[in-house]
Amino acid sequence: MEPRINHLQIESQVHELLDYPVCTNQITSTIYQCSNDYTGEVNNDKEKPYNCPYSGSKCTVTGDIRWLLQHLRNDHHVEMHDGRSFSHRYVHHNPKHLHHATWMLTLLDCYGRQFCLYFEAFHLKKTPMYIAYMQFMGDEEEATSFSYILEISGNGRKMTWQGVPRSIRDSHKTVRDSQDGLIITRKLAMFFSADNTNSKELKLKISGRIWREH
Amino acid sequence: METESMDCESSTRSISNDNGTYHFSSTKNHAAAAVVTNIVGPTTTAAATSVYELLECPVCTFSMYPPIHQVKFCSFDSSSLAVVPADDTTQFYYLCHNGHTLCSTCKVRVHNRCPTCRQELGDIRCLALEKVAESLELPCKYYNLGCPEIFPYYSKLKHESLCNFRPYSCPYAGSECGVVGDIPFLVSHLRDDHKVDMHAGSTFNHRYVKSNPREVENATWMLTVFQCFGQYFCLHFEAFQLGMGPVYMAFLRFMGDEEEARSYSYSLEVGGSGRKLTWEGAPRSIRDSHRKVRDSNDGLIIQRNMALFFSGGDRKELKLRVTGKIWKEQHSPDSGLCIPDLSS
Repeated sequence: MEPRINHLQIESQVHELLDYPVCTNQITSTIYQCSNDYTGEVNNDKEKPYNCPYSGSKCTVTGDIRWLLQHLRNDHHVEMHDGRSFSHRYVHHNPKHLHHATWMLTLLDCYGRQFCLYFEAFHLKKTPMYIAYMQFMGDEEEATSFSYILEISGNGRKMTWQGVPRSIRDSHKTVRDSQDGLIITRKLAMFFSADNTNSKELKLKISGRIWREH
Repeated sequence: METESMDCESSTRSISNDNGTYHFSSTKNHAAAAVVTNIVGPTTTAAATSVYELLECPVCTFSMYPPIHQVKFCSFDSSSLAVVPADDTTQFYYLCHNGHTLCSTCKVRVHNRCPTCRQELGDIRCLALEKVAESLELPCKYYNLGCPEIFPYYSKLKHESLCNFRPYSCPYAGSECGVVGDIPFLVSHLRDDHKVDMHAGSTFNHRYVKSNPREVENATWMLTVFQCFGQYFCLHFEAFQLGMGPVYMAFLRFMGDEEEARSYSYSLEVGGSGRKLTWEGAPRSIRDSHRKVRDSNDGLIIQRNMALFFSGGDRKELKLRVTGKIWKEQHSPDSGLCIPDLSS
């Protein structure tokens, strides 16, 4: 699945298969291929490649941040937002039908860096929960120089989580299972969603911002 | 069918106390006479009519007058012409052959023998009596606590279960304390009988320490009472099992009714190691039971692992610092109002 091409003597027809031009210097490059048939190239000198942060599908793409951003946008169609603050509404007309590990990923671009905002529905020992958290597209050391806030509000109540974004070196599942984010039961989510109409819809307003600590 | 208007006669009735003690300390805004504490079953004036006395079942005693207790009585549901007793089960009024009346609950209890004349009771309902009762209007049983309202039988019960003048139940969590009374009385009761900590002021900073947090007994809890803005608030802190595992929850209840509770807000915060969780909301009224608020998750909830993480150190001991404050803030009429139906 991952052809390792040591020499770069590429026949012309093979060359056409590749989206990226293959560099012709002597340094060995490793070419990775994901199950979706997208290929990319990584320059091993700089840093260890990151795993694609798009959870759920079996995407095994790895690469550097720049490459992953393009991959996320083009192949996974993830939205990218500019700016340090954001406000989203997560709506579902029948939240009881939200399956375990339904989730959404949005990308945020600020401070010249990118962050992944996850929102997930999952079950923790049979109790339906929602969790929202951020991960930093970069290494652990730089991740700790940032902080973020997530806020859920509605029906006269507000819950705020302030945390440190985890690096995407940690899989999204690791972060979710460590509950390192804004986590609420579905019951409480319904409390936030309640309005005078007595509907059982999920309507969560989540806003937040990122800032650099140092 | 003529409706009889009510003649108010002053007569004194003494009410038997069969449900535990019921006390008032001097009330601040109730027009009626205050009752000194520790007297069981205070006497009171009652409005009575001859028609009303006709409706009195000779077996079960019933009293339409405050105070206090839910003594069983029969009332009427005009939609089905059924006699509806205090506990909402459908009943009827029956006649014996000599014309003596009895409510259906008691009919069963007397084994179908009329207690007045010992004749056998048939299944003849007294529809006329039922209709008369339907047209009867009586004051709310809390009238001596200030409730000015008058209701026909079938809606009286419903009103009384929601009447704003009705006394409050003791807000102490844990075993169900049956004490009822007004707020100043309940505050003294919490302090003196339940030994609850009292604090003056609207901010707090508590450390909850538990050396072996693995032993989370279901519903271990603590209650502190705060006095500020001339009001009293109950801060609950609990450890319990929520489907997903052990959690800690903190929430505030207002010692007063729902409408007044909405003029206040509170916040609670826990944190450590670069992370912080904050809850902000309107306190619930103590009209909502402690269990109801807890089960609606309406407060700050932290899983035990996160709480241990916030505790720092070796994370084996729980040392959770919870800070918070209460302030006056009017929520808009719509916000803070919707308590969703969680039954489905």
